[in-house]
Amino acid sequence: MKKLSFSILAFWMLAVFAGRLFQLNPNHIDLNAILSLPNTTYLLGADDLGRSILARLLRGVEVSFWVAFIVTAVTMTSGVLIGLIAGFYGGKVDQILMQITDIFLAFPGILLAIAFAAVLGPGLGNLMIALCITGWVSYARLTRGQTLSLRNRQHVQAAESLGASVPRLILRHILPLLASILVVEATYSLASVMIAEASLSFLGLGIQSPNASWGAMLRDGVRYMLVAPHYVLIVGLSLMSLILAINLGGDYLRDKFDVRVEK
Amino acid sequence: MIKRFTGFCTVVFGVLLLTFLLIHLVPGDPVEVMLGDSVTVADRAQLRAELGLDQPLIQQFGTYLAKLTHGDFGRSIHTKTPIVELIKTRYPATLKLAFLSLLIGLSIGLPLGIYAALKAGKWQDLIVTIVSVRLSAMPAFWLGPMLMLIFAVWLGWLPVSGMESNASIVLPALTLGLGLSAILTRMTRTSLLEVLHDDYIRTARAKGITEPNVIIRHALRAALLPIITIVGLQMGSLLAGTVITETIFSWDGIGRLLVESIEKRDYPVTQACVLVVALSYVLVNLLTDILYRLADPRVKFAS
Repeated sequence: MKKLSFSILAFWMLAVFAGRLFQLNPNHIDLNAILSLPNTTYLLGADDLGRSILARLLRGVEVSFWVAFIVTAVTMTSGVLIGLIAGFYGGKVDQILMQITDIFLAFPGILLAIAFAAVLGPGLGNLMIALCITGWVSYARLTRGQTLSLRNRQHVQAAESLGASVPRLILRHILPLLASILVVEATYSLASVMIAEASLSFLGLGIQSPNASWGAMLRDGVRYMLVAPHYVLIVGLSLMSLILAINLGGDYLRDKFDVRVEK
Repeated sequence: MIKRFTGFCTVVFGVLLLTFLLIHLVPGDPVEVMLGDSVTVADRAQLRAELGLDQPLIQQFGTYLAKLTHGDFGRSIHTKTPIVELIKTRYPATLKLAFLSLLIGLSIGLPLGIYAALKAGKWQDLIVTIVSVRLSAMPAFWLGPMLMLIFAVWLGWLPVSGMESNASIVLPALTLGLGLSAILTRMTRTSLLEVLHDDYIRTARAKGITEPNVIIRHALRAALLPIITIVGLQMGSLLAGTVITETIFSWDGIGRLLVESIEKRDYPVTQACVLVVALSYVLVNLLTDILYRLADPRVKFAS
């Protein structure tokens, strides 16, 4: 399973690299090739504007990866920071911060991200802002819960009584023990951010045409399903392989670090 | 219970505040964004006054809450109809879809979970587990088009989209229900396995109770608690999932209304849809909590 996961990821990375190397143009329009089936010129066929599906898939996954990395980095940093503060200080600070996370969690799934993306307006930047505003909550809850119990560990109390400063206590004595659980959480969240990005793009709220994105490609694929079913099938299978690979990777890391992530 | 209820009230208040603030997050002047450039200054001033955007923020929030208590969500900017009417016509369709999905989820998830638990460790269990774990990771906007491709385009058994015939609901409900059933299968399997090794099950078997009775009357009843919780929590993603699923299948529910309002920049409608979906979720969670307490008397002692 581990090998499968890594080989799928490696395959996509190599493909993106190869696409750049051979300078595949995701925006080149060939009116003779509209919705054509896979052939020698267009290995995976062409879309409704006669653009290479392969080239657009590769550009789409590249953007998707970047969005996932940036959003995960931002949400993890801010969420962990908030969770550490809440868990370390406890009391009123903790109560207020957790009340805020409760409110964010009252919006099911990506509803809040949809709402933010809607009012901010479509576009890649706003999409990332919307995902960042809503994504920190799970990290904050996770970190807070762990910090709460780590706070009373003997090594932390020993360091505290030796006069260690608060930043030192948090950074040197608490955070390292959180690392493995956070790595696992981050891996799963890469997949969920990619799904969220694709969902918003599917709804027309994310990456805008002519830029390639899997969500928008899937929507176009649905639109032309009756005349060109291969389009939606190719995008669908690609998406499946990628999500599968990331989740398998997450499972592998979870087992390796022996982490029990409570959802 | 009182503590739970105050928590519920704070969350509802927070949800109201956040949805109220949404319109103020529009970059620039929301009135200009909604109406475009082609209208007169007077039109803009009128809309601004109608939405109360010319008043101080606190007062706006007060008016917003006061109107909501009368069931007044304002009016749609495009069609000028009261938003309550729009929601009244669209919400039942979403409820119908969500209910059927839940039914599908339960009727596949429970038996399959029981089956996997009884065959624990054997190849049947392995297959069920692998399929359900991987299926639950797939988003609605993937599953929907794939089901559409197989059952509507290739096999031609069901309508592609729309709401014309009774069969139209099958594909969107399957899209939401299959994801749910995958999660339920896993949950049923795990919680059933936990109780199957308890002493009282051995006692029941020793008393000579037939195996189906042991499973259904004794084991499943105890295993039901985590399942109730999961169903409650999943109702939330079900509600959010309707936004995408309704868009894929052109199902005229509240999710599609939300997407349409975003496309038309009809922000009052967007606001109302977000509020209604979020409040439904909060309410479902509260009901789950109450149900949970009713089902297990021990929970009361613990809190």
